Amino acid sequence: MRVLVVHAHPMESSFNASLFRMTVARLKEKGHTVDAIDLYKEGFDPVMSHDERAAYQDTSENRKPVEDHVERLLAAEALVLVYPVWNYGYPAILKGWFDRVFLPGVSFGLVNGKVRPTLHNIRKILVVTSYGGSRVRAFLMGDPPRKLAQRMLRATVRPGASVKYLAHYSMNLSTVATRQAFMSRVEAAVDRF
Amino acid sequence: MRILLVYCHPVPESFCAAVRDRAIATLTAAGHTVDLLDLYAEGFDPVMGADERRLYNEMTRADHPAPDHAERLEKAEGILFVYPTWWYGLPAMLKGWLDRVWTPEVTFAIPEGGGPVQPLMTHVRFLGVVTTCGAPWWLSFLIGQPGRKTILRGMRALCAKTCRTLYVAHYRMDSSTPESRAAYLEKIEKKLSKV
Repeated sequence: MRVLVVHAHPMESSFNASLFRMTVARLKEKGHTVDAIDLYKEGFDPVMSHDERAAYQDTSENRKPVEDHVERLLAAEALVLVYPVWNYGYPAILKGWFDRVFLPGVSFGLVNGKVRPTLHNIRKILVVTSYGGSRVRAFLMGDPPRKLAQRMLRATVRPGASVKYLAHYSMNLSTVATRQAFMSRVEAAVDRF
Repeated sequence: MRILLVYCHPVPESFCAAVRDRAIATLTAAGHTVDLLDLYAEGFDPVMGADERRLYNEMTRADHPAPDHAERLEKAEGILFVYPTWWYGLPAMLKGWLDRVWTPEVTFAIPEGGGPVQPLMTHVRFLGVVTTCGAPWWLSFLIGQPGRKTILRGMRALCAKTCRTLYVAHYRMDSSTPESRAAYLEKIEKKLSKV
């Protein structure tokens, strides 16, 4: 399968970055074609500019500033996201990737003011993430990142696509053992991909 | 009350700017002091870099990436966010402002030996969100309103225990009319005059 892996963590020495490297390597080992985007490494600018916002609805113009990312998204059959949860949301660099790349004419169309999802080339999603706080606390906050994956992303891609959400909660209290156990869970999910 | 109004929209002539202006006028008329923070106008950089991330848990005021913003946050008794909802959440610019400015020592303390974080923004008694959504309300509810929850639950947990919240949204912005927008501005005035 052609898999697009998107990563958003500023530190190469982080646990999150090692999850990203393992995921990419293991997917390749299993024979998948992997296209990896490390948003921090490539210095992706997440801020939607004035001109981009003004041309947002114009489907012949709107993708030009992010053409490369749009092409890679549309060429993928599966999407894997590896990022940390910050303040119950995506890091800004990843949020901006959605804001700027998931455009009208790319991931959805507008028909009479109503949104029609069109990213039907994606038929599998895997999210690998980590939270500083506990699962209970995330639950009390409504766990926005989990909902974004399981509801928003699910509704954007091909109907019936499988969505797997793997999270290591309580990272601030994590130990070598909890991190290893989580790494194994992700490995198993990647192997079944 | 001293209210920090955090505004985030790239287009100065957008409807969101009219929303901001109505909010400022209403709050000022009600006797509040409004401190306007316009993230796009300031050219705020929302990307937390590697050095900042490395320091994050032990960050002190001396290392803060935007000390001016931290100071304004500390002086606020109320905070109002005015922004467009994009992909059911905050624009990257605003999300990055929360990530970079709401740091330990300013907004919360991490207790030694673990446990839940201790709120430090207890001087904030009001937290509000005024936004515009492309989606209809039922779809926003179905998705779970991630943007609303990030601010009114996630960030509220760092404010006063009795902190009041407000959420006002104009749904289906793509099929809005002059009438629906005017009605929305009236609604904002009505709600904000009670703050």
